[in-house]
Amino acid sequence: MPESVPASLILDAYKEIFREARGGRPTEPLGWILSVPDTHQKSVLAALDKERALRTLTCATEDEANAIAAGLFIGGEPCIVMIQHAGLYASINTLRGVAIDGKVPIFYMIGLLQRERDKDPRESRHSMVRWCEPLLDTFSVPHARMEGPDDVHLIAKYFKLSRERRGPAAVLVGLETM
Amino acid sequence: MTAPGNVVTPMKPEEILRLIAAARDTAICIPTMTTAPAWRDLAPDDLSVSCAGFMGGASSLGLGLALANPRRRVIVFDGDGSLLMQLGSLATIAGARPRNLTHLLFKNGVYHTSGAQNIPGGFDVDFVLMARGAGYRNAYAIHEIGELKRRLPTMLGEEGPVLVELHTGLSEKTPMTAGGGRPFADQVDALRRKLA
Repeated sequence: MPESVPASLILDAYKEIFREARGGRPTEPLGWILSVPDTHQKSVLAALDKERALRTLTCATEDEANAIAAGLFIGGEPCIVMIQHAGLYASINTLRGVAIDGKVPIFYMIGLLQRERDKDPRESRHSMVRWCEPLLDTFSVPHARMEGPDDVHLIAKYFKLSRERRGPAAVLVGLETM
Repeated sequence: MTAPGNVVTPMKPEEILRLIAAARDTAICIPTMTTAPAWRDLAPDDLSVSCAGFMGGASSLGLGLALANPRRRVIVFDGDGSLLMQLGSLATIAGARPRNLTHLLFKNGVYHTSGAQNIPGGFDVDFVLMARGAGYRNAYAIHEIGELKRRLPTMLGEEGPVLVELHTGLSEKTPMTAGGGRPFADQVDALRRKLA
């Protein structure tokens, strides 16, 4: 059965990723979080509010987050985009234009809001949960599901993958973070 | 200012861009849609990246660049139809408060590339009011080229975010008549190398 992941583990993963992306150089901020607030990841967003090493920028739309991520990448700044599945649907054309055709590495943390604990998301009764992974497959976006604390390593793995393949990659947050 | 009753000739986008090219120094420039072909001719190999392939994204692309390069001026050449596609970016930009961002809005009231259909609200949409309401540090409109020449030096140095609504006619070329130019991915790589 899937488990919720504590926000502290996720923030530690973010910091480690950014340190590595910068080759260990001390910087302020360490990295950027571009967020369109997601209920599913609200404990992470709350923790980020108190976090000084990371700078969180709340965006009005996921389209904006994609384009801002491109600007940060051009300027050499690492970032992570935190959205919800509904936001993925809303911004798929910008993801295509920026991250796929534009070859900008963008790593997404995507919350599967309303995902049932006892079901595979592809069998969910909620269409926005059910179609998220097939949509990513359609656009050949590599993705993995974080189903508990043991899966936190996937964040670094898929962040690196987005950079290596110069495109999008995503970790889906299976249950609401805590 | 224009005397009452006088008809103001809209500024030519190409003339505006020529003035900016001469004044921008080391600023990063982000053209989109109908400013892209003319800017390519004026500044073919410099610190620029066109917002191409995701209409409406120029302002956000500019924000990301401004945040990543706080010591360098970033100038966005936005369109009115384009900005309407991501209007929320006004609030996002205002919230991030990039001091080095100049957001130029080329306002012609139409979707020129697709055949000059009116944008929603046409020329009456007041982007200056919207930018002020969103929280930009400054926002104003410029109607004629003489005023632009006078204000340009200040405009490109003033603390941002600032939006300047430029009242223009139609450009000579569009991405459809002039072609799309270098792929966005190539432009990203080129600018990334120059900024490294």
